Amino acid sequence: MKPFQYSCPASLQEASEGLIHAIGDVRLLAGGTDLTVGLRHGHFQADTVLDLKRVVEMKPKITASQNEIVLSGFVAMTAIAQSDLINRHFQALAEAADVVGSRQIRNRATLIGNICNASPAADTVPVLAACGASVDIFGPQGARSMPVTAFIQGNRKIALAVGELVTAVRLPFKNGQTGTAFGRITRRRGVDLATVNLCCHIGATGLATFAFGAASPRPLVVTDTSGMLCDPNTTEDQIDAVIDGMVAQAKPISDVRASADYRVAMLKVLATRALATALQRQREALADV
Amino acid sequence: MYETMTISVIVNGTAYTCEVAPHVTLLDFLRDTLDLKGAKECCAVGECGACTLKVAGETVNSCLFLAVEADGCEIETIEGVAQGDTLSPVQDAFLTCGAVQCGFCIPGMVMSAEDLMAQNGAPSETEVREALSGNLCRCGGYNRMFDAVNVASGHAEEVKMQTGHADTGATVGTNAVRAGGVNRVTGHQAFVADLEIDGMVHLKLVTLNAARAEIISIDIAAACAVPGVLDVITAADLPDPMPRFGPVFKDRPIMADGETQYHGEPVAVVAAEDKDIAAYAASLVKVDYETLPAVTDFAAALAPDAPLVQPNAEARSNILKARDYGWGDVDSVNAALVVDNRYSFPMVTHFAIEPHGFIVSAKPDGMTIWSPVQHPYLLQKIMAELFDHPLSAVRVLAADPGGGFGGKQNPKFEPLVAYASLRLGRPCRLILTLEETFQAVRRAAADVHIRTGFAQDGEILFQDIKSDYLIGAYVDIAERVMTKGNYLGCGPYRVKNARVHARAVLSHTTPSTAFRGFGTPQINWAVESQIDAGARALGLDGLNIRLRNLAGRGDEVVKGDFPADGDWPASVKMAAEMVGWTDPLPEGRGRGIAVGVKSGATTGLSNSTVRLLADGSVIVYAGTSDMGQGARTIFAQLAADAFGAPLDRVSVVMGDTSVVPFDLQTSASRSTVFMGTALTRACEDIQRQVLELACETSGLSEADIAVGNGTIQIAGEFHSIFDFVQQSLGKWNGELVGTGRMRKPTDPEHALGGTPAFFEFNCTAFEVEVDEATGEILIHKHVTVGDVGKALNPLQVEMQDEGAAIMGLGHSVMEQIIMDDEGRIKNLGAIDYRIVTTKDMPLSMKTGMVENQDGPGPYGSKGVSEGAILCTAPALAAAVAQATGAVVHDLPLSPERLWAALQSK
Ligand SMILES: Cc1cc2nc3c(=O)[nH]c(=O)nc-3n(C[C@H](O)[C@H](O)[C@H](O)COP(=O)(O)OP(=O)(O)OC[C@H]3O[C@@H](n4cnc5c(N)ncnc54)[C@H](O)[C@@H]3O)c2cc1C
Ligand code: FES
Ligand code: FES
Repeated sequence: MKPFQYSCPASLQEASEGLIHAIGDVRLLAGGTDLTVGLRHGHFQADTVLDLKRVVEMKPKITASQNEIVLSGFVAMTAIAQSDLINRHFQALAEAADVVGSRQIRNRATLIGNICNASPAADTVPVLAACGASVDIFGPQGARSMPVTAFIQGNRKIALAVGELVTAVRLPFKNGQTGTAFGRITRRRGVDLATVNLCCHIGATGLATFAFGAASPRPLVVTDTSGMLCDPNTTEDQIDAVIDGMVAQAKPISDVRASADYRVAMLKVLATRALATALQRQREALADV
Repeated sequence: MYETMTISVIVNGTAYTCEVAPHVTLLDFLRDTLDLKGAKECCAVGECGACTLKVAGETVNSCLFLAVEADGCEIETIEGVAQGDTLSPVQDAFLTCGAVQCGFCIPGMVMSAEDLMAQNGAPSETEVREALSGNLCRCGGYNRMFDAVNVASGHAEEVKMQTGHADTGATVGTNAVRAGGVNRVTGHQAFVADLEIDGMVHLKLVTLNAARAEIISIDIAAACAVPGVLDVITAADLPDPMPRFGPVFKDRPIMADGETQYHGEPVAVVAAEDKDIAAYAASLVKVDYETLPAVTDFAAALAPDAPLVQPNAEARSNILKARDYGWGDVDSVNAALVVDNRYSFPMVTHFAIEPHGFIVSAKPDGMTIWSPVQHPYLLQKIMAELFDHPLSAVRVLAADPGGGFGGKQNPKFEPLVAYASLRLGRPCRLILTLEETFQAVRRAAADVHIRTGFAQDGEILFQDIKSDYLIGAYVDIAERVMTKGNYLGCGPYRVKNARVHARAVLSHTTPSTAFRGFGTPQINWAVESQIDAGARALGLDGLNIRLRNLAGRGDEVVKGDFPADGDWPASVKMAAEMVGWTDPLPEGRGRGIAVGVKSGATTGLSNSTVRLLADGSVIVYAGTSDMGQGARTIFAQLAADAFGAPLDRVSVVMGDTSVVPFDLQTSASRSTVFMGTALTRACEDIQRQVLELACETSGLSEADIAVGNGTIQIAGEFHSIFDFVQQSLGKWNGELVGTGRMRKPTDPEHALGGTPAFFEFNCTAFEVEVDEATGEILIHKHVTVGDVGKALNPLQVEMQDEGAAIMGLGHSVMEQIIMDDEGRIKNLGAIDYRIVTTKDMPLSMKTGMVENQDGPGPYGSKGVSEGAILCTAPALAAAVAQATGAVVHDLPLSPERLWAALQSK
């Protein structure tokens, strides 16, 4: 690894200033599971690494209010997968967090890191995108918030201005009315990056939304505005046709993990399965309230 | 050389305050600064888990953790797990359950298992698989690890390690604990990367992002300017003409000679005071090069106008060698059915969890080499020739390899490191990354076109095989791999007519070398798949058609050659029984069965010296490498029983060419047979001296004394030799030294240079279920049965067998090296080259063995470490075909490939 300087700001303010005043390339460090690999392989350059783990405002916390769940600071995947709140209201997020890497990786990998790394194959991103999550951003101009779908601009591209960093993730919800499910295809069962992944979200309005991962440079969100997918009277053939139409919007690439054809076909399989699971979960949630 | 920071950490209860540079990982800090070398580095990207340890109570990959991040934290490493000499329950269970083979993955694996136990005292099978899935074990100890966790958590009964048969005390045939096992579970086993040699310089290779390229110029100025860089060596600094070497063909240059021939061939090497500086400086070496047309697949290499990979070779084509074998007359056979298919087997890589590493301290008059090499004496010979030294001036200290599988047989960068050491006047060390290791060696890809003629009843009437093996830019041992694999190409059957035309085709790719199975898995994939194709067409059963054709004991499998030396049908019947072949097939499932045979070693010499000391303790000298197969354990068992000594009184010395006598090599599953015999003879030599000693001390004549295995009978009274020497040898004030050897001379008439010393035969069977929508295979049962002669240590036989089976599963369903059009490997390293993890393990994996004491080794043993990899793929594919109707001819049978086959069904 190329030598670099390291600093450990204590507050967001300090971190933001550090970003602005650093000489040369500066990189933020959360759990390091993407950053360290990137630095080692030379995909990332850094003259300075700003480690945010000691920033007081970045202490991990998962809280719920009337209409949203907030994951503030560096919440790691292990904590998300084990969180009762998340498992109760956003099972898909717990499922996605639980398949990231291995136990060792999940102990370190943060949700914010997963978003900010902006890999098209990131597992939590489709969930966040389908559920309408947003990120809180701190910066020299003060704090702002932005939907995840807009925040991720492309492969490894995020909408941060100089001096800005992400501080929290917000998930809007209405108690007992949503059902979510996550699905992914990998080349093997153990530790692997997604060939494709997706999340199905059934909202309080009774519409099904899918977000597809590893299918385009940025998360692709499609909603079944016809409402047919959630209508108990829709036939299997009709569901098939609707899903076909939604999947057709994905334009995945062929690469070392899979061909575009396989990716498209798997999105369809996953979508059908996730829809059934999400509907089932919504029914159970309704029954619970 | 760079700025450092002060950090304070508590490691295993001890507080340290140290200086460390920010870019240094916690793994390197612990290993290099605190000298805690238990955690290992393999992939350096968080995939393998060899570096697992605990920080602030949580397991992490220390290769992805900066040391500065740990400031103020408590760290627990493998060194802190045992309390003094008392192993933790997990460590103990790892040993007694046979989870420890080479041991390189074990420190990380134990840390993950400890973490699981701490989180969840009673984990389910699924939880165990999940918890260990971030730790790769290429030796394939997973099943044993599952057992170990069950034992440690009290789920399963504790296994008591046997130290000998209850009545006789003999250790042969018992599950004697792995010699060197304790060091491996505690993190104290020293692998080559753990060695610290005074004054050592760190080397880093400079490579190009191209396969074949002409080197126009190399600018080393920027690299040389980095503080801490000592030297940048290019081809211009090496002797002219460039020295070349190889085990058979002397074609491999010390470093690229004007032109690179494959992706990753080094064009320069940087020498620096530490490895990070070396790596950083290597990235600053500017090479101006021009990419040249490269042939990296069969079609390109065999095209009439293909560029020649070895222009100076005799052949005016890329066909290095072609071999023709056969008997009978294929063309005149009138077959009821002819099945004609083409099969492919991709390039795969060994992926030992220990990457390759070399240390050389060279002086003008001789050198010492530390290398985890499987063939220390071959390395010694090659280095002596290259540097014009007598053999006695070249000392090879072969550290136990952290897995070899064939990849560590032959010299690679030892010559380069030796030149660097000579130039710098200091010992030099080159530890490859996993990516560089992938670029060093691999298995040959194969393209097999095969026509098989069957009679209506399934009898194989002919095999007509055209088999091409795609080898690399330098030959290494690849020509022999092609030869040996194809010589037995028709499999373990009585085939009436056969024609095999096999070729080794050079290409601008990583040199291919020996790899578990030595050329057999490739050809056998095709041949066994043909048997199933025939069976399906004829409406026959996969088991019956095999039993119909299988060679019985004494039947020839190659006309005029060494006949079948075992009861092969017994293995097949046992495997069928174990998989439940005749049980009703559950809905949606399929079963498949296949067989494979490999020729054991054909020639060679193994020497052993054994010393029986005055207190009855024994030292065995054996030039074998213990790379995980447990050779040390077997040798200790043989010697212990020869003298009736307890196992813990036997030590085995290996891997030092200046002390241990010559052994040809550690390959072809030969060690138990060849070295085992040599050492048994050395023990017999001592037994003769014991007789002499007994005559002298008792005043009796030889007729009144009988010396047998382990015991001596004097005037009707039995003693163990162990006890006897303690009482009698003291008077001689010395020890008894025995020597023994086994030699199988070369037969120049034979296509392989000699008949096989034994056959390794295996039968594998599967029961699977397929998710037809995704192509994912769920393996319910995977069974393998070997014809082992005699299991000297049944647990070790199972460990070897499972290891081979899991490796076979890897190439069957997920492994392949993928290259772009220009021959650059796209999936270098652990992120995109997939091997089996704990979660990919079959729901049930079982090993059986047939023991008829019919092998040439001690107690009738045969070699066992490769059998279970020979026929994994065809057995699995047959099961998948039965479950789904989809027949696949190309490996790996990945979900995507199977899905595609299902689409076009
Ligand atoms: C072996 C292995 C397996 C993996 N498997 C998976 C998987 O299955 N699924 C998956 O989705 N991912 C996987 N990953 C990727 C990785 O673990 C995740 O993306 C992880 O969530 C990244 O989080 P981190 O905290 O480690 O981020 P870091 O590596 O610390 O940072 C990631 C990026 O985010 C930036 N960043 C960090 N914090 C902030 C901030 N507050 N504001 C702005 N930018 C910031 C960093 O500069 C960097 O560019 C795997 C990685 C490894 C090594
Ligand atoms: S995970 Fe750290 S070396 Fe492989
Ligand atoms: S024992 Fe696990 S890699 Fe060798």
